[in-house]
Formats: sequence, C-alpha cells, structure tokens
Amino acid sequence: MIVKDAVCPFCGCLCDDIEVEVEDDRVVAVTNACELGTTKFMGEKRMKSPILRDGDRWKDITYDEAVQYAADMLLSAERPLLYGWSGTHGEAQCVGVHMAELVRGVIDNTSSVCHGPSILAIQEVGHPGCTLGVVKNRADLVIYWGSNPIDAHPRHLSRYTRYAEGFFLENAFRDRKVIVVDVRKTETASIADEFVRIKPGGDYAVLSALRAIVQGKTDTIPRTVAGVAREQLIRVANLCKSAKFGAVYFGLGLTMTRGKYKNIRNAIELVSELSRHTKFTISAMRGHYNVYGSNEVNTWMTGYPFGIDYSRGIAFYNPGETTAVDILARKECDAALIVGSDPAAHFPRKCLEHLADIPVVQLDPYPNATTAFCNVQIPVAVTGIDAEGTAYRMDGVPIRTRKVLSTDYPSDREVLSRMYALMREALER
Amino acid sequence: MTFLMITGRTVNQGVTVENKTSAEYAAETSTCFMHEFDMLELGLDDGDTIRVTGPCGEVVMRASASVEVETGTVFVPYGPYANHIVAAGTRSTGMPDFKSHDVEIEPTDEEPKTVYELMEDLGGLAYDR
Repeated sequence: MIVKDAVCPFCGCLCDDIEVEVEDDRVVAVTNACELGTTKFMGEKRMKSPILRDGDRWKDITYDEAVQYAADMLLSAERPLLYGWSGTHGEAQCVGVHMAELVRGVIDNTSSVCHGPSILAIQEVGHPGCTLGVVKNRADLVIYWGSNPIDAHPRHLSRYTRYAEGFFLENAFRDRKVIVVDVRKTETASIADEFVRIKPGGDYAVLSALRAIVQGKTDTIPRTVAGVAREQLIRVANLCKSAKFGAVYFGLGLTMTRGKYKNIRNAIELVSELSRHTKFTISAMRGHYNVYGSNEVNTWMTGYPFGIDYSRGIAFYNPGETTAVDILARKECDAALIVGSDPAAHFPRKCLEHLADIPVVQLDPYPNATTAFCNVQIPVAVTGIDAEGTAYRMDGVPIRTRKVLSTDYPSDREVLSRMYALMREALER
Repeated sequence: MTFLMITGRTVNQGVTVENKTSAEYAAETSTCFMHEFDMLELGLDDGDTIRVTGPCGEVVMRASASVEVETGTVFVPYGPYANHIVAAGTRSTGMPDFKSHDVEIEPTDEEPKTVYELMEDLGGLAYDR
C-alpha cells in the first residue's frame, strides 16, 4: 500500500508531500522525503514494552503498571518537572499542561534550549513574519543567518527558497538571491550568492552595522566589523534595500551564541528598518517538527510559551528560573516526566547528575540517552507514523499529521490521558 | 591548545538521532571537526583521539579535518559528548552557552566512550536489550 501526502514528523518544515510504501505494517520505501525524514519513517529497533529499573537491571512491566507508576510519581512529588513536548502532537501537549496544573509542577519544552531566546526577543519587539508560501512565491532575497538548512532542514531550500519556483518570480533560480551569514563555511554557504563570514560572537555587531548602513550612517562603520569588511556590509545592505521582498531565516547560530536573545532582537529591528524601504520578514528555523506547536499550545492554555511554573497555583513564567536546564542544574525538581525529547543527550552534564538522583518517567518509542536515567520508560506510537495528531510548521501553520501504519503502541495522548485520569481520581478521593 | 567549541546540527547527527544506541550516532557526536593547520600543530591525523577539556570536565573525541571551520575554532555535532563538558549556566535565559565555550585540546591514547558509558559515569544505567 502506498500512502500519499503523508506528513514528515522530523523537522519544522513538516513536508506534506511524502509518499510512504507500507507492506505488512512495515514501512518499506519513502519517496520525496530528505535523508532525515526517510530514516525516521524507516526507523526500527523500537522498545517492545514498558520497562522499570530494578537496581542494576531492567524489568519488563505492563502499560497499566507503568502508567500507575508515573501517576504516583507525579502526585507524590513536591516540584515535578514535565519536560520535552516538541516530539509529540498538540493533543498530547494539551494533556501535559493540564497535568502540570494539577500537580503544581513546572512544564517546559525544548524551545528553552533552541528558539527560547527568539521568543524572548519577539516578546520585546514583535515578530514581522509570514508563511513559507509567501516567501516561496514572492521573495527575491533570502538570508540564512546562523542556520544551515542543508544539514538541519534539507528541503527548505528546494521547497521554499533557492531551488523553488515562485508564482511572482519569472525565473526564480536566477531572480532570487541567497545570502548566508555564518561563522562556518557550511555547505549552505557554498550555494549562496553571497557568504558573510562572521567571527564567532560577532553577530550583534554585524547586525548593528547593517542597521546603521540602512539608516544612511555608512560613515560610522569601521573598516571591518567582527571580521566582515565594510565593503561587504555595504553590498549586503544594498542588496537588502533593492530587493522587492526579503526574508531572513535565522537559526541557533544566533540564539545559542553570545548575546542570545539580544541578537534576535537586533535582527528583528534590522528587518523593521528594512521594511521602511521595501518589504522584509524574519522567521526562526524551528527544529523539532512540533516545537512550534508546544509554544502555541502552552501559550493558549497558560499565557506563556515555555518554562511555566504552576507552584503558585497560577501560571508563572521567568526564563532562566523556570526553565528545565536551570531547574535541573539547581537540583530543584524532585521528579521528572519526559515526553518527546532526549534531555540526557542535549543537556549539560550537571543536569544529568540531578536526573540520576530523582525518579524519571519517559514516554519515547526508542531507547535513548535519557533511558539510562529512567525509572520507567513507556514506549509509544510515533506521531506521523503510527499515530496521528496536530503539529505546527515552523511558520505557525497547523498541519494534521497522518497515520501511515497500524501498531499496538498507544499514542502519547492515550498514555498521558490515562495518567491524568488516575491522578484526578486519586486527588478526588 | 585552547579552542572555541561550537556545537551544531549535522545531517549524520540527524539521521542517527532516533537511534542513539548505535555506533554511528556515537561516532558522529564524538567527532571534533578542526582546521587542518590546528591538527598539524597538535600532531594529529584524521581519526586520532583527543582529550577535550571544558569548564565542566573532559571527554575523549576523535579529530576530523574540516574546511568549514577557521583556525582556533572547533565544531562538534550536538550530543552527549559535547554536553559532557558544557556548563549549565544560562545567564538568566534558559539557554546554556552551547556555542561559546573555550576548551583545551590535547592528543590522547584513550578511546571515546560509548554513549551509555558516559551516562553510567553520571549515575545512569545502560539499556542494552
């Protein structure tokens, strides 16, 4: 059987033109997806049943036992952390927020270690963004700043920018210019019309220099700014001002480096300057396929996009205090529920040392680095493969992922709903 | 020698990220991409093991020559190896300094650990079924 128009649950592009060939409830071929998506669809080696750590060995347990363990763990904790959420569907994220409120816990998603700083900047100065379709059809200038789509979002270039057709562009490949700004000469840099190499940590200064040039204060620019020649800065500013429609896509090269959210704020303000001359937009290259959804769901349910602390009985948000890395590093939480992410692979070691000291339950289809710190792991269906649900693309467009095969694994929503029901029942008793 | 360590995504990291117990994931995330002049200075060949010391400890990786990085800078794909030496401070943003750590690099005869060996060093238990 061939499933057409399946949605790829890997990165924030959420490509919705995938063809998946299924035989005997196994994916045997994938068409249109990039290497990342293909590998995810073809993924094997799933965990077979829930496991419990029993001293120095692992023991198989039933779903009922695992769900009860998780409910008891969350109910008896004083300050539980509910973390992850970007690798699951919106319906499961909703249940997660209800659970956090019920147990007065902290709920945080992976954006605190990816585009959290971008959201902080957006909260300061707003987000002049647009959908990917607008960029595809109108943009004659695209800037990738601190992002490397060839490695991280491989089809972004072919579906929306460098290699895409554009409705309002006569010859998109010729008429659309691509500028890459990075500290490394990445593969994306090698297919750009202009590559701007910045010294690490110099993004803020280069953005400020471009803003000054766009404002007509070229005389104030020194010979080089963070390793970038004045002439190149002037050339880039002129390319931007002479474009009919420009789009900036920025990545973790801006959010993780020195300056963090202040870099993004400066980039947004550059876009705002440019929009006095022409049309310009800016958007984040979101990583996990539904990390944008975790921000949406959290915002509409709690008022805040990530790092929400319910210990006061109401939603409280203070990044740097109520975010997962900080809470773990301060050894503050006394239990952790991990859903749709792998903090043990992606958090600094100090956080893992605390994970080793507290009870941890993880919902994940595969054994991963966090498995090593789990008391219980519950294998679940993969959204977009054997479970369906809503995900938000990097430009904020919600897309319903499809189920391409059937397995016996329950979805994240099913497992979390059972946990939540048990918790409510226990509290009402 | 002191280097600026930048971490980031690679295709191979993404392809193996759903299979973190695999040798391929361990190999990719324990690769330290360096400028060949820096490798020359340290007497390293492609694939030689190095001890990388950061603000929070040390970890063994393999050096690999790359035309993408400048001298004085190294690039390591996101994962448990880089994070073994990254500090947890976030400067009140929630985000650690994943792209701005100074690290010391020296040649070593030790082999890189497996992902689960790293996790066991921190109090975890390998799942190997």
